[in-house]
Amino acid sequence: MMEEYLRLVDISKHYDGKVAVDKLSLSIPKGSIYGIIGPNGAGKTTTIRMIMDIIAPDSGMIQVKGQPVAPEFKNRVGYLPEERGLYKKMSLDEVITYLAEIKGRSKKQIGAQIDGWLEKMSLSSYKFKKVEELSKGMQQKLQFITTLIHEPEMIILDELFSGLDPINIELIKGILLDEKRRGTTILFSTHVMEQAEKLCDYICLINNGIKVLDGRMAEIKSKFGSNSIQVEIEGDGAFVKEIPGVIKLIDFNNYIELKLADNADSQIILKALSDRVKVRRFELIEPSLYDIFIEVAKADPRQMTTEVPHE
Amino acid sequence: MNKMWIVIKREYAQVVKKKSFLIGIILTPLFMALITIVPMLLATKKSDTTENIAIIDLNRQGIGERFKQELAEYKLKDERPAYNVTDVFNIDPADSTEFAGRRKYLDSLINSGDLKSYIIVKDNIVESDSAILVAKSFAFRTINRFEYCMRNILAEKRLEKMAISVGIDSILNATRGIEFKQQAPGGKERDFLTMYLSSIIFIMIIFMTALGYGQTLMRSVIEEKNSRIIEVLVSSISPFQLMAGKVIGLGLASLTQVAIWFVMGLGLWSFRSSLAISSDVAGVIFNPVFLVFFIFYLILGYLLYSTLFALIGSIVNSDKEAQNFIFPITMSMLLPVMIAMYIVQEPDATLAVVLSLIPLFTPTMMVLRLNFTGVESFNLANPMVVQAIIGVILTFLATVGVIWVTGKIFRVGILMYGKRPTLPEIIKWVKH
Repeated sequence: MMEEYLRLVDISKHYDGKVAVDKLSLSIPKGSIYGIIGPNGAGKTTTIRMIMDIIAPDSGMIQVKGQPVAPEFKNRVGYLPEERGLYKKMSLDEVITYLAEIKGRSKKQIGAQIDGWLEKMSLSSYKFKKVEELSKGMQQKLQFITTLIHEPEMIILDELFSGLDPINIELIKGILLDEKRRGTTILFSTHVMEQAEKLCDYICLINNGIKVLDGRMAEIKSKFGSNSIQVEIEGDGAFVKEIPGVIKLIDFNNYIELKLADNADSQIILKALSDRVKVRRFELIEPSLYDIFIEVAKADPRQMTTEVPHE
Repeated sequence: MNKMWIVIKREYAQVVKKKSFLIGIILTPLFMALITIVPMLLATKKSDTTENIAIIDLNRQGIGERFKQELAEYKLKDERPAYNVTDVFNIDPADSTEFAGRRKYLDSLINSGDLKSYIIVKDNIVESDSAILVAKSFAFRTINRFEYCMRNILAEKRLEKMAISVGIDSILNATRGIEFKQQAPGGKERDFLTMYLSSIIFIMIIFMTALGYGQTLMRSVIEEKNSRIIEVLVSSISPFQLMAGKVIGLGLASLTQVAIWFVMGLGLWSFRSSLAISSDVAGVIFNPVFLVFFIFYLILGYLLYSTLFALIGSIVNSDKEAQNFIFPITMSMLLPVMIAMYIVQEPDATLAVVLSLIPLFTPTMMVLRLNFTGVESFNLANPMVVQAIIGVILTFLATVGVIWVTGKIFRVGILMYGKRPTLPEIIKWVKH
């Protein structure tokens, strides 16, 4: 196990008798990219707000590097909430400086870095323009600057991918990987499984406020084994789920995904298929995060998405 | 503490940098002058044209002619007569045709603008004080002058009837009116009009600070809430630091404004002789005891009201929603103005004392009462001084209480987007 940066111990939060987060424990290693993943309403935002001390947990404990959270922890975190906004009437220069100043940075320190960041985000010519003059995509880039410019030890991004345009997704991924190389611990939440799968070193799956699974991505994948098959066939595939050894079938329209019993032999399945229909593709696959989630959480798959929502 | 200072600086700069701040500094005193001094000037201004008037005398005992003589006393600035009596018609009251004809003729002259007004002296005027003034519009000053002249003429006539042989002039002289000069204990001159106008100015300053800047604060909270930046802010500073920083920052901006006005006032004061400002005005405005209390009430009033506005801003989602809440707050500030006439007549009446000790009313009420009572020193034997100090303490306690409650509600309210919390929910946040 790597050095631990942040630890949550049995934190719970109730709203009006409803459980938002229930006895959640996490351990986030230093310098890792950690994803909190779950459907809308799973308790991701509540968890992150408790880490940021924006709301207080009803019970439980949060530690940073083995110590209880001190107020100056806020200075060492870069936080980007799901709902993002900026002062529209201030100039970029003013907004960046102000938000960094309340993170405990001096004007001088920020002044030295501001041009570099604006350059990196291709916003240099807007330095003294008002925020309201920027396009939505540019405002997103500005928000990343304000989240990162004070060189935080930890970056927390709620619903990282929501509302981002595809170019900015690639840009921010690159920047997060740079930050990781610097040793920054990155925590983000998302309900977009596919993106998380590509980016995370560690994940925690939560559903209805309860942790269903956590750990290192690679270990989780191997633990769930490669007992899934993706198949493209021509003809009626109604018989497929009757084949011995197939325990579950997910129909993705263009292809079907089969879950096999632990002792099933994929070659026998292939034969059973090719006897009845023409097989165009037959591929042994690692289970996707989506599959794992469905399996362990027994969640309603309609709440989940594998695509970046288009907004 | 350090972070709160950064918030204070931003809020201050955001207001002071705006053009509207500079415009407010210049326009507000002009506006105040406009609504206080101009009506006063208009009321006392001499008219510059001679008014043509006529008289129909049904009494036919020379009253009309005497009236004409009396009016000749009134002059315009340039020594021309103020009134020109064009005609005195002595008509037999029994001759209703002629009377009606004359009236019709004079009415047409008024309508054409050749005549300002005419007076009908009834035949029984000496016994029954019965006279009529006909005009399109009536000026207070003219009515006062006409009544004064007519009163003197009638007194003459009545004394003649009673055959009293003392000279009429000496009787009129013996019964002439008197005006009390108003002085505070210690001999300082006090004048009702000055006190009233200065009170209006002081109350307006409290108004603009508490209501004006309070609403600016509320809008600023709503803006931060709507733009969602509030969540980034409270991830860096505590909600209380944010709220306090905003309240103090805007408060300093408004104090800057008041300080500039004060300096402008001092500037005017140095030109007092050329501007004909009486020493009474200065006595009221530059009374140190009053000023100390005024500054206390100005600051406490601002803190109390602006915190209430911050509270509203944190629980609503739009200016429109906020309007419902602003109304009762504005009314509680306006109340003292609405009952000011009662208070100034009796600043020490029980009702005035009680109302002025209710913290929401204290700042404006106490300023009004203090100004009219004319406190000269911090003498604790003076109940007004004691009440003013109690007022400061009560308002301070109320302000601390409101800040405490608002702090609790603010930290939850600012994260509630979209839905306005119900009263039971808000009470729960306070208890939590």
